[in-house]
Amino acid sequence: MFSKIKKLYSQALKYLGFRDYDLPLNQSEDSRFLILLVGLMSFLAVLAFSGTFALNDMTSRWSSGLENKVTIEVPVETKEGHLLSNRTVNKETKKLASKLENNPIIKSVKILSHEEIQELISPWIGKDLTLNDIPLPGLIAVELRRSDSKSLDMLKANVKAISKYAQLETHHEWLGSLISFANTLKTLALFIALIIGGATVTAIIAGVRTRLAIHCKEVELLHHMGASDDYISRQFQRHSMILAFKGSVFGTLSGLFIMGIIVMLSNGSGGSLIPAIEISYMAVLFILAIPAIAALIAMVASRFTVLHSLQEMP
Amino acid sequence: MIKFDNIAFKYSENGQDILHDVNFTLKRGSYHFLSGQSGSGKTSLMSLMYLGHMPTSGQITMFGKKVNMLERDELSKLRQNIGVMFQDFRLLNHLSTFDNVALPLRISNRPEKEVKDHVNELIDWVGLGKHKTDLPPTLSGGQQQRIAIARAVIARPKLLLADEPTGNLDDKIGFRLMGLFEQLNRMGTTIVIATHNQKIIEQFGHPCLSLVDGTLEASPSNKIAQKIRNVF
Ligand SMILES: Nc1ncnc2c1ncn2[C@@H]1O[C@H](COP(=O)(O)OP(=O)(O)O)[C@@H](O)[C@H]1O
Ligand SMILES: [Mg+2]
Repeated sequence: MFSKIKKLYSQALKYLGFRDYDLPLNQSEDSRFLILLVGLMSFLAVLAFSGTFALNDMTSRWSSGLENKVTIEVPVETKEGHLLSNRTVNKETKKLASKLENNPIIKSVKILSHEEIQELISPWIGKDLTLNDIPLPGLIAVELRRSDSKSLDMLKANVKAISKYAQLETHHEWLGSLISFANTLKTLALFIALIIGGATVTAIIAGVRTRLAIHCKEVELLHHMGASDDYISRQFQRHSMILAFKGSVFGTLSGLFIMGIIVMLSNGSGGSLIPAIEISYMAVLFILAIPAIAALIAMVASRFTVLHSLQEMP
Repeated sequence: MIKFDNIAFKYSENGQDILHDVNFTLKRGSYHFLSGQSGSGKTSLMSLMYLGHMPTSGQITMFGKKVNMLERDELSKLRQNIGVMFQDFRLLNHLSTFDNVALPLRISNRPEKEVKDHVNELIDWVGLGKHKTDLPPTLSGGQQQRIAIARAVIARPKLLLADEPTGNLDDKIGFRLMGLFEQLNRMGTTIVIATHNQKIIEQFGHPCLSLVDGTLEASPSNKIAQKIRNVF
């Protein structure tokens, strides 16, 4: 049954104008190994690339969403260690908010309600504790018109003048370290992609060398019949290209499938453990180009190897 | 057309000379036998003629070009003018009769339509029309030989080299093959046939290059042939 399909397939190819290789390349055992290897490499490449795309997306969402946002906190405990009463905290918070509202560098001011604050800190202390049990800080979310450091310094000065307890919390510092961490990950992914590419090229070169050695009698014959190096090389190129393409399609689709599952899981879990991952259509298109890229790499690597090796033959 | 000047040849650096002091000239359209005992170097001399090996010393000129001066690509182009029928055929066993015969045309990048027409015609002519899609290992020795000869002549080579073409055949088919060579020669193909079959040499009476101890000597059969020609 299977061999019948295979025969039909090869007949169809012949009908379309493809013909057998002049060299018995299809009989090599290592073909399957190469397909598997390129498949695995493509799979890893998909993971590395989609990781990079997801990180890119995330960091840009973070920075665009947070860069011009500042939180002003009226803490329950002063720098000297005195506790402030809820009343003082509320009073200071309201005073700050009303005075800042008309400041030209500020776009909006919003005092966070106790419920919102509780929502924010609940992961650390749990929802079961009632509001009255612990003193809560006052929090004001401020949106600046511009996100440059000049506006930030002006705001700092203003806040200090209004309230001696208030502290400014910019997102710049932790966001900055988060972004640089993300960039490190991206560099790592790129590095992995390079290693994958290098390993694939090495395997393809080794495969071509083996096949050249196995078929040296046939190669010699073609040479004696007047085949140019280019003609002989084209045979190997086509063969490697098709193997790499087959393997890569297989690996890329599996990779996309796994990524699809990860994306679904990340969006379904409420965003608490894994941050929501989104992969854009552009990224998917790029990933779908991996088989073409793999085929191209295989072709070029084979060509160089064959031409180089043939130079050493008479 | 072909000129060998003081050719010496050995297979490896420190091996012994297989050929030495070989000098001869073949004119365009000529027909020569290459005779000599088994192991005398006929196949080796042939391989120098189809540029499969380069001589250890001396100068080979082919089609007006000094071959040791040529680039790889120019050598390939030159080889496309030479049809070779190897002693051991050297068919590609994974390719059909058709694809084997088509090989020289494809190597010289002829359009596939032309390949189809010419190859089908020639395969029919050598009587293998029923075996176009068969693989060589499934065919008899004689049928394989006909594939080999078809492959050697399909691209209308200017020079045809055949190494012991009658070696595996009974006399009848052998003589028919010789008839084909005669015909090609009349159409202008330069021909060299290596054989140790003295009967054939005498029957066809073409000039003979005779290998003895790795070098050419003026052979008696050559002289006889000349005499016969002079008589007519
Ligand atoms: N590939 C080779 N490597 C080394 N020696 C060879 C090779 N081919 C042939 N010879 C040697 O060269 C000599 C001539 O062989 P060959 O040219 O085949 O003679 P013939 O065709 O007249 O029988 C023989 O001694 C043979 O052993
Ligand atoms: Mg021989």
